[in-house]
Amino acid sequence: MKEINLTVNNRPYRLSVLPWRTLLEVIRENLGLTGTKEGCGLGECGACTVLIDGRAVNSCLVLAAEAEGKEITTIEGLADGDKLHPLQQAFVDHGGLQCGFCTPGMILSAKALLDENPTPTEEEIKQGIAGNLCRCTGYAKIIESIKAAAENMGGK
Amino acid sequence: MTTFYRRLPRFNYLAPVSLNEALSLLARYKGKAKVIAGGTDIIPKLKRREIRAPEHVIDLKAIPGLDNIQYDVSGLSLGALVTIGAVETSAIIQEKFGVLAQAARSMASPQVRNRGTIAGNICNAVPSADSAPPLLTIGAKLKLVSQEGERVVGIEDFFTGPGQTALANDEILQEIQIPHPPPNSQGIYLKLTPRRAMDLAIVGVAVVIIPQDGICKDIRIALGAVAPTPIRARRAEVVLKGQKLDDNLIEKAARTAAGEARPIDDHRASAEYRRDMVEVLVRRAIKQAIGSRS
Amino acid sequence: MSELSVIGERVPRVDAIEKVTGQAKYAADYSLPDMLWCKLLRSPHPHARILNIDTSKAERLPGVKGIVTGKDFGGWSWGWMPATRDEPPMAVDKVRYMAEAVAGLAAVDEDTAEEAVGLIKVEYEELPGVFEPEEAMKDGAPAIHDYVKNNISVEYHWNFGDVDKAFAESHLVREDRFRTARATHGYLEPPAILAYYDPTGYITVQASKQSPYFHYRHLAACFKVPLSRVRVIQPFIGGGFGGTKNDSLAGDFCAVLLSKITGRPVKYIESMEEELATSRRRHSVIVYSKMGVGKDGLLKAIQHRVVADGGGYTAIGPLSMYLNGFMTTLPYRLPHFKFDAYRVFTNNPIGAAMRGHGVTHTRFAAEIQMEMLAEELGIDPVEMRMRNAIDNPRPGETYETINKVTLKTCGLKQAIREAVADPVWRDRDKLPKKEGNISWGTGISGTSYSGGARQMGHQACAAIIRLCEDGTVNLITGATDCGQGSDTVLCMIAAEELGIKLDDVAIKRVDTAYTPVDPGSYGSRVTILAGQATQKAARQVKKQLVEAAAKNWQVKAEDVEIKLGEVYLKSDPSKKMPFGKLARIACYSGTGAVIMGTGYSSYGIEPLDLTNGIGNGGCSYSFTAHTARVGVDMETGKITTTDFTIASDCGRLLSPIQAEGQIEGGAIQGLGQALYEDFIMDRGRTLNPTFLDYKMPHALDVPDMKLIDIVTDDPFGPFGAKEASEGSIVSAPPAVVSAIHDATGIWFTELPVTPEKIIKALKERK
Repeated sequence: MKEINLTVNNRPYRLSVLPWRTLLEVIRENLGLTGTKEGCGLGECGACTVLIDGRAVNSCLVLAAEAEGKEITTIEGLADGDKLHPLQQAFVDHGGLQCGFCTPGMILSAKALLDENPTPTEEEIKQGIAGNLCRCTGYAKIIESIKAAAENMGGK
Repeated sequence: MTTFYRRLPRFNYLAPVSLNEALSLLARYKGKAKVIAGGTDIIPKLKRREIRAPEHVIDLKAIPGLDNIQYDVSGLSLGALVTIGAVETSAIIQEKFGVLAQAARSMASPQVRNRGTIAGNICNAVPSADSAPPLLTIGAKLKLVSQEGERVVGIEDFFTGPGQTALANDEILQEIQIPHPPPNSQGIYLKLTPRRAMDLAIVGVAVVIIPQDGICKDIRIALGAVAPTPIRARRAEVVLKGQKLDDNLIEKAARTAAGEARPIDDHRASAEYRRDMVEVLVRRAIKQAIGSRS
Repeated sequence: MSELSVIGERVPRVDAIEKVTGQAKYAADYSLPDMLWCKLLRSPHPHARILNIDTSKAERLPGVKGIVTGKDFGGWSWGWMPATRDEPPMAVDKVRYMAEAVAGLAAVDEDTAEEAVGLIKVEYEELPGVFEPEEAMKDGAPAIHDYVKNNISVEYHWNFGDVDKAFAESHLVREDRFRTARATHGYLEPPAILAYYDPTGYITVQASKQSPYFHYRHLAACFKVPLSRVRVIQPFIGGGFGGTKNDSLAGDFCAVLLSKITGRPVKYIESMEEELATSRRRHSVIVYSKMGVGKDGLLKAIQHRVVADGGGYTAIGPLSMYLNGFMTTLPYRLPHFKFDAYRVFTNNPIGAAMRGHGVTHTRFAAEIQMEMLAEELGIDPVEMRMRNAIDNPRPGETYETINKVTLKTCGLKQAIREAVADPVWRDRDKLPKKEGNISWGTGISGTSYSGGARQMGHQACAAIIRLCEDGTVNLITGATDCGQGSDTVLCMIAAEELGIKLDDVAIKRVDTAYTPVDPGSYGSRVTILAGQATQKAARQVKKQLVEAAAKNWQVKAEDVEIKLGEVYLKSDPSKKMPFGKLARIACYSGTGAVIMGTGYSSYGIEPLDLTNGIGNGGCSYSFTAHTARVGVDMETGKITTTDFTIASDCGRLLSPIQAEGQIEGGAIQGLGQALYEDFIMDRGRTLNPTFLDYKMPHALDVPDMKLIDIVTDDPFGPFGAKEASEGSIVSAPPAVVSAIHDATGIWFTELPVTPEKIIKALKERK
């Protein structure tokens, strides 16, 4: 077993994990945060996207042990109590989700994009979510939601 | 195909805090250890049981000083832990080694680029590795270190077969060294893929050219995904080097490059299509490189 | 319909907040403390006899609690019809497709389960395999099932009118061969189940099923447990698209059996590679299409000979082949039609349903062939369609096709008019045809899909509305939202009928212990059929409430109205009370009352005539006109799709945001099948079972989409609605292929149209 210390959604954790466990598995199974999804398990779909120190990564490709000392943000860490993050609110308002399975990863990729580039063009939005597959929406309302969120968050 | 795995195989995890420590671990566990940097190649391979599970996985990321992008009198040096994303966004690489930045930008996804390393991309050595053709065109050298010492290997000698390199199992690729670009050199990386994201290259072409008053002062052409390893198209280079840059000659160079390719049929594309596309992409890359301004 | 207060509003889906916060739980998110993990062992051969399975070494591995093989299911097998029950939970005497499951085990953790599976030894006798349906039909091909001849899984021969005479009288006749891709659903959520077999003989599962009631019947039959003691609980579902998640998988049956054996809950999750390599897929279909037209371009006859790759088992094949044919008489007037369909067993993964089920193959062929004929005749493709399109029946009238498909609304002509009035088509000649290496093209298609699918006696569906004493309402129905948004639409229908606000209607997912039966999500049936059931249940509740109000106010019931949570007198709207108050009055007055309403869908259940193809397969039919603009790189063959304009007649959009999302999503799935998606097979082995190489569109690959809403207010409804979820997956491929023809001059008849195929065709043309 490996002892690791990490922060998830601003809470510190000290966990005992098997060396071959991925960060995705530990988030879901040790911490019970099932909002982060396992889609393909190979880094090809983006459903498992979380932020590590603010950067979007596929958590299925990160060993839990590699997250030692890191700050992880999952979908559960975005809302402020009852108040949704502007991205979450925009997805709700603009129909940026249907089955919802890609949604946590998609929102986090969008957050990473907007945190770095608050006024993305449509092309930049598409590049920002290029690693997140969605099978339901055809991406149209996802892009619309991200644009709306960018406006609400102060970008134009 | 009898079992589909969701879990990784069992292994120990070690995080040495110095390069020496990492090297002594590799020496001790020779053959039974694998190094992990970004993890974006090794984890899928382990999960799909494409490679035998190592007993020990050695994480390099606790070792300080390996993630530097350094540009000084000796040229550009990329540490083993420099991510693809860092190369994509580095101002100095975009300016001086544009062909490499373009390749980085074309790879995988933002998530993978945030973790995966250029060194890892080279060491994984799939024939379609996007960083390889650019590095072949800019004369990269690789500093390999082990407990025994260090050696520098030119990138053209590094790839030995599909997924195989000159790296010994007790060695680490510590640094990629790239000489100063010659003045006025222009580089273009073109990647042919079915979609606009997430695809491996069907064909990858890197061209670095120094045009001077309509003459091709020098040119390097490298091809990915069309041979057992990434290769230089040297005969194509000879067609143009020192010659006047006109459409017919460029076309001849492109055709020559296509002839140097040794692609295979696989489920992604046929050999014939790949060969045809080498000609198209080399021609386009040369013309774009000539047409672009720094 | 200006009186509507909730229907037609652009509201967020009712489960949006749960999903964006990560609170929505899907099957794999459920765990129980003492649960075991199930893993399957699968066959490395596409066709082989199972001689022996030695599980002894696996049994001895510490942590392994139970192992089962195909034999442990007592010889039970299942299928869509009594005559086609050819599929056992796991292979028994032989395997019929690569990676078919042969054994399953349960262990204390998934690592142990995965290790143990590798210790099971199976002895196979390899049999010759056959992998193309036309090969498999030939005499002497390896027999995959002994109960049929020539590997013919399903066979239909329909004949309407006299096609031979019609062809003889045609001015122009074409015969062409088409083939559709080996495509799959591609949902992001791999199937998963958490199963518990209670020793008292009660099965409970949480499983990603878009038809929970099919699964409950399968489990009841397999384990000989009464239906009343089978509880299928539907979690949130991460996409379904019809097919695998309507059916039951080897992992489901094993998880339940292993739970029975071990006495503990058992969890099974497929890996995505496992899903892509082994799951049900859309049939890949060869269509031999013969079409005859008059000099004026009017259709005289269509003859289709359809050969579908059925894979190793029948599954829903009989319906698939029916759907390949019955709607060929839509959306254009067709006086003569002959249909010969063969679904053929091969040693490939099973061909089954997928969105746009059946129709997509033959409509692709017919659309492209009609354009080929138009080209030969020199008739503009829009004009060709307008001449042939079915007119919108006048109110009260019914259009009937030659095979007795009936419809009351058809907005195709209006859809075509509006689609071509849009700049993408209208201004296409103003844009450059060639820009450097790119050749631009625009294409069009006119298509139809059925809604309110009929499935013989399995049609029945019901809804219950329970009024809570504070005036909020629970909608309890077996209708299954697999992500398409049906929960939202049904809640809107309930709110509209009751006269309350959408927020006051609560819905949870299906639980077969509590919710009334509903066949689930397929055939675009939920809005239409479960919608009708919901309407009826709501009306029952409203009636009771209106009577309570009338009694309380001492007025006639007919004078009471309820709208947006307010109860008032029609004759004097100033006399009013909040709905909540009326609820309390109704529930608490006198001896008290529990106010509930039930409703069931009672749309005329004509039997499906699979043998002759006569009659309706659905209640109503959507119509779509779809234009596409593509740029083809003439040197690499790479295609960029820049624009889709989709004019959809869905009767009336009840929940516009959800309906638009479905139209957009379906169009992009269609784009995927037109250009990118195909399983590459090598003697039964899937060479590309990952998202890297089974190429679904990413955000960068999609065109700008413009949707045009054509309202025809179908009398069937409810509220004038027709299906809105499958039209665009049928319309997209022919529109794209038509555009590629405009750009290259080449008709492509095999999907997907990959860059390599384009270059090959361009080379051959030279």
